[in-house]
Amino acid sequence: MSYLVGIDIGGTFTDCAIVDRAGKLLTTKVPSTPPDFSRGMLDALGAGAQALGVSLDRFCRDIAFLSHGTTVGTNTIIQKRGAKVGLITTKGHEDAIHIMRGSRGYGGRDIRKVVHFPETSKPAPIVPKRLIRGVSERVDCFGEIVVSLNETEAEAAIRSLLAEGVQAIAICFLWSFRNPAHEQRVRSLVENISKDVFVTCSVDIAPKWGEYERVTATALNAYLGPVMSGYLQKLDFSLKDLGYRHGLQITQCGGGTVPVGRAGEAPLLTLDSGPVSGVTASMFLGAAMGEKNVITTDMGGTSFDVSIIHDGKPAYSFVSNTDQYEYFLPKVDLQAIGAGGGSLVRVKPETRTMTVGPDSAGAFPGPVCYGRGGSVPTVTDAELVLGYLDPDNFAGGKMKLDFSSAAKAIQDLGKKINMDAMECAAGICRIVELQMADVIRKVTVEKGFDPRDFVLFAFGGAGPAHAGVFARELGVRKVVIPQRKAASTWCAFGAAAADVLHIFEHTEIMPTPVGADRINRVLDALQSQAKKRMADEGIAAGRQRFEFSLDVRHKGQINEVEVLLPWSRLPADFELKLRKMFVERYEQLYGRGSALAGAQLEFVVSRLRARALTPRPKLVFSKRSSKTMAKSAIRKRRDIYWPDLRKHRATPVFDGEKLISGNQVRGPAIVETADTTVVVHPGTTLRLDALGNFEIGFR
Amino acid sequence: MNAPLKKLSELTGVVFDGRRSGYVPPKTLSISPKLKLHKKAKKDLDPVTFEVVRHALWNVNEEHGATIQRLSGSPVAMYALDLNPSILTQDAEFVYFGPYMQYMSGVTDTQVKWTLENRSDNPGIRDGDMFLANDPWVGAAHQMDVMLLCPVFWRGELFCWVTNCLHQYDIGGITPGSFCPSARDAFDEGILIPPVKIVEGNEIRRDIEEIYLRSSRKPSAVALDFRAQLAGNMTARDRILSLISRYSAETVKGVMRKIIDDGERAFLKKLSRLPDGIWRDRTYVECCRPGDRSVHRVVLSLYKNKNKLVFENEGTDPQAGGINATYSGWRGAIMVALNELMCWEQYYAVGGALRHVEFNPTPGTLNCADFPASVSTAPVQCMEISLYPAYNVLSKMIYPDPELRRDLMCIGGTSQWPATIFRGIDQWGERYGYLLVDPIGGAIGAFSHADGISTGGQARTPICKLPNVEHTEQSFPVLFLYRKEITDSGGAGKYRGGLSAESCFIPHGTDSIVHDTLSSGNAIPTSSGMMGGYPGAVNRYRFLKQSNIFEKMKASELVKDISELHGVEETLQLRQQDFIQNPSDVYAVLWSAAGGFGDPLERDPAKVAADVENGDVSAAAAKAIYGVVIGDAEATERERNRIRRLRLHNSKTRSRKLDGPIRLLATENLAVRGERYACAKCAADLGSIKDNYKLGCVRKDLPIEASNPIVGDPKRFIDPQPQFRQFCCPGCGLAIENEIAVAEEPPLRDVELFLK
Repeated sequence: MSYLVGIDIGGTFTDCAIVDRAGKLLTTKVPSTPPDFSRGMLDALGAGAQALGVSLDRFCRDIAFLSHGTTVGTNTIIQKRGAKVGLITTKGHEDAIHIMRGSRGYGGRDIRKVVHFPETSKPAPIVPKRLIRGVSERVDCFGEIVVSLNETEAEAAIRSLLAEGVQAIAICFLWSFRNPAHEQRVRSLVENISKDVFVTCSVDIAPKWGEYERVTATALNAYLGPVMSGYLQKLDFSLKDLGYRHGLQITQCGGGTVPVGRAGEAPLLTLDSGPVSGVTASMFLGAAMGEKNVITTDMGGTSFDVSIIHDGKPAYSFVSNTDQYEYFLPKVDLQAIGAGGGSLVRVKPETRTMTVGPDSAGAFPGPVCYGRGGSVPTVTDAELVLGYLDPDNFAGGKMKLDFSSAAKAIQDLGKKINMDAMECAAGICRIVELQMADVIRKVTVEKGFDPRDFVLFAFGGAGPAHAGVFARELGVRKVVIPQRKAASTWCAFGAAAADVLHIFEHTEIMPTPVGADRINRVLDALQSQAKKRMADEGIAAGRQRFEFSLDVRHKGQINEVEVLLPWSRLPADFELKLRKMFVERYEQLYGRGSALAGAQLEFVVSRLRARALTPRPKLVFSKRSSKTMAKSAIRKRRDIYWPDLRKHRATPVFDGEKLISGNQVRGPAIVETADTTVVVHPGTTLRLDALGNFEIGFR
Repeated sequence: MNAPLKKLSELTGVVFDGRRSGYVPPKTLSISPKLKLHKKAKKDLDPVTFEVVRHALWNVNEEHGATIQRLSGSPVAMYALDLNPSILTQDAEFVYFGPYMQYMSGVTDTQVKWTLENRSDNPGIRDGDMFLANDPWVGAAHQMDVMLLCPVFWRGELFCWVTNCLHQYDIGGITPGSFCPSARDAFDEGILIPPVKIVEGNEIRRDIEEIYLRSSRKPSAVALDFRAQLAGNMTARDRILSLISRYSAETVKGVMRKIIDDGERAFLKKLSRLPDGIWRDRTYVECCRPGDRSVHRVVLSLYKNKNKLVFENEGTDPQAGGINATYSGWRGAIMVALNELMCWEQYYAVGGALRHVEFNPTPGTLNCADFPASVSTAPVQCMEISLYPAYNVLSKMIYPDPELRRDLMCIGGTSQWPATIFRGIDQWGERYGYLLVDPIGGAIGAFSHADGISTGGQARTPICKLPNVEHTEQSFPVLFLYRKEITDSGGAGKYRGGLSAESCFIPHGTDSIVHDTLSSGNAIPTSSGMMGGYPGAVNRYRFLKQSNIFEKMKASELVKDISELHGVEETLQLRQQDFIQNPSDVYAVLWSAAGGFGDPLERDPAKVAADVENGDVSAAAAKAIYGVVIGDAEATERERNRIRRLRLHNSKTRSRKLDGPIRLLATENLAVRGERYACAKCAADLGSIKDNYKLGCVRKDLPIEASNPIVGDPKRFIDPQPQFRQFCCPGCGLAIENEIAVAEEPPLRDVELFLK
């Protein structure tokens, strides 16, 4: 027997998805064990072994592929627990990381508040000024060395930083992505002087054009390095001890995984990798269902995350932000807004207005109905008051909800603006649903995609209550709430389904006309880097897959568009065809007629996505399909207030775990599972498909 | 001597129609009956519908801005985000404007009102039309800010307007790029376009478009931007129409009205918590034309009378040379500060507040210039100099309320823009011209409770980003020796102003570079501090000819400051034209930093020590200005007392303590007890509230160089002698307020309260 295993460690729970060769899926969920998260991971494997009825050693020996998603990096940044970092950079440009391009890092923040300067300070620096050393050296925009590296200064810089007690050194010189010699030389100087300090060069993490975003990526990587590499090594040893014979894979934010060694030297890749694994899982499921265009949505307690899969591929972003720092990193694009179950509802009696979010009650104190001291009503409270949620059977009965406190809180709130409790609760849901529709609109319509060409996947505890409404708002074809079993451990499942993925980039601004040879030489270099790395990782040539792309723009414009190349090397007459593909994509994004016909183009970044195919879970299609529902699937009717009908109605409730393929439920109805509550709104029908997914269609 | 200029309220027979004088809309617009206005608005909106439609309208405007950004071809406009979309009601009240260039909002409503008054009859305003406009006398910051106004119709009635404004790369005039530092008047500058119908029945009028493009040196870039503006308006219009078809016109209009009404209510609530009074600020612009060595005074007064605010510029010098702004520029500048300090929680919905704000300009002045004054440099000169004092007067007005106090902000960096305009042949062999965008990195002024933000951007463009050095070096033939934050540039204070930065480069990959300068605020700081705080650094050009930079580079010894190099120093004037930078000539430009808040002697010594460690403040300034001896609390206390005694040295003012409770704090240091001003720290009497409290203080006139370590000898640029005046408490030596003034000017009465 051999298994694929995906493990996702969150702040509260560690999820494990195990797929056997027949495609059978087993999931386990155990508490996370901060600060030593590796214990929780071993607990999860232990639980898996137990469920399979084999010893842990035996189970570990039989694992063919183990991939792991971690939030250690993300938490390190949130809790500011990273390493003491020293930065070595080009003399005269020490302040680039502090100047932050004269912005205050508003990415990811509430743009509406950006003019209120008292609350828009810059974040605490990753590297304080006193730990930054400038060294004489200079490369220009052609990649020519115009000032050679002053090694005496470099050595003095290294020694003084070590004397300050830094645990990591980041090296980032101007134009190093055009000529990395100086960065590499300083790295070896560091390694000669100290074996213990973690070192990162900017060319190894973000060989991109723009020193602020590059130096930030480098410094963040160094900040995470010592913490992450320690954690990963420990995990790797424990697994080897248990008999796991293959390389541990770590999920990364570009989708896919990297071997543990690479994750140790480039821990930045793991930031936000958890939600990205959810997208990977969606891609996998979408492919199995024959759906190439998917909007994935994940509504949790505090936020609502959206991503797009178009033509079987996820949308990417190349500049990310975390805690106001902006940095280069190829990443599956996830848009988030502060709209979740815990989003707070506020009213202003004097203007008779009501707002929902973006701030959240979080898990503590949480919604009023959690009874943990929360007094401000939330979306979850509204769901409870409407009757969507069963106070005695929330989260599979694991938690009792306090209906009367929630009802009172919402009633009191409504009174202030002259609304009754039901109207108020329905209004809260409506506001949050339309906010979600708006953010989906931003990643579809505003990016040139028509939502009607997509299906919408809804995950997260809170999503399936609202998906039917915002999906209809957008006009998508149908909503899919993925496989009952996998849904609650979706990211772990995504980790198991991921390929190994390395992204290599080369930045060199090449205006047209440019010969195919010149670009092909760049592609050659990228491919040999990739081949070398994969060979080092023991990946056989037969499993390697390469996909090349170019970032193209109109000369002089700022917006670049990634064009996937249909070739492994450019043919001599590539330009016309490439231009056509660029214009097509550009006009899709920016509107018909927006591209300048005949304008000079510039190629900025050449990119290679190098994949190693890994064993895939096999999804099992049910052969049986029946409209007849098991009697045991039918639960007691519940009185539910339906906003569309503006009244209460005794509504059928079903046990989702007991529905079988082919079963249908006409809305209004409720389908409950151990992890979530699916609200089948009036005018929609829920059906269980052959993979065990809930599909909601519109009548 | 000329007769003093009169203000609008005193003038008779002058028409403010946007032709000679700037357009000042009448209270009631005169609109042709041919144009039917949609006025029905639902009153009793349920909170849910309101929130849903409000959110959608905000998103309409956001998508409008995003559309323009995606499509515009101009990197200058995109780095500086020199654009802004708006939604206005049918009668041109603001519903929303965007978070981009804030200047542009304030000039939009006048533009739309003028169009309603002057175009509704002939050629008429109809469904499918759009109007192109850039005339600063009608409503624009300067000629390059081209607006496209789109009326949105519903069933034959004008429902609302969606508009946008986008800075154009070049629309003519004697200087490429259309910033014309040596313009004699508007006829030397870019084309002036009073609102003209460029789109008719959803078709572009080719004849009009050609007139427009013909004026530009870069017609293809202007054409591309025009399409971006067109697409932005169409997107916004379509989305509003779909909102109307879903929720009904009355509901959407009701939401618009309610956004404005709610904003009005919130604004009135704030005003009701504040005392009535007058707050004033005075500042100076330098060098209005090449060779000019005089200074030009700009005065701003804010009157508050119950629930009404009135802004006046009385006392401002007559229009001159090439620094002026029009009425709409002045008003637009003030609106930036008004929005940021008093309406920020309304999220760019200032329409309601504007119902209670009046502007009473004096025409013929620097910032209310009559046609045909030169105004192409307005946004970096006379609008900037109109905007920043508005932060001071508004901050002082809201200070008495303990909660609103937390929203105040001192003047930020780049309060005058030190332009670096250069051209030549680039490293790729092509002709280029560029205005260095770096000063947009600015600095944010100190707050009443926290330090300002170093290189935190320019307050008037809250989401801009300066280009990376690598971006600039790729596109232009330069090599940056450094770009760094400058020690001591931030204005000293109990809370320090943000630091600004300096960019320094040599030519690279070219034979030479041809430069122009265009600046002000190089002799006299324009980012004054507030309530005892000191000003931030001045703008500064440094130019070192025939330097030894190549020897240094060859020896692998780079420098961190131009002063580490040898060569021939040349003082660049503020409108110096066509000077040459050869490869070994080093050029550096420092942009002005932000003002500080409160007396620096009141700053926590631990904060000063941290500043010194971080390189934000030098040890010398820590001692001289903050009175801090690092690591020695006792010595610090002794030093601070010594400085306080020095402030009162030779003073004949006798101090008398007041008792009785504090009625209110007029500023950080100025209390009101009974009918008298008192030192907020020691209760020393500072005179009747009917008089200028400064007359009750001990006045010290210091040379301007004492105000900030970066300020140098003003005689290099101007003839008048500026002073840094401190007004200190005769009892305890606390710096109650500082002011910067030309020697012969009387002390400014910056606070005048009308207490019952």
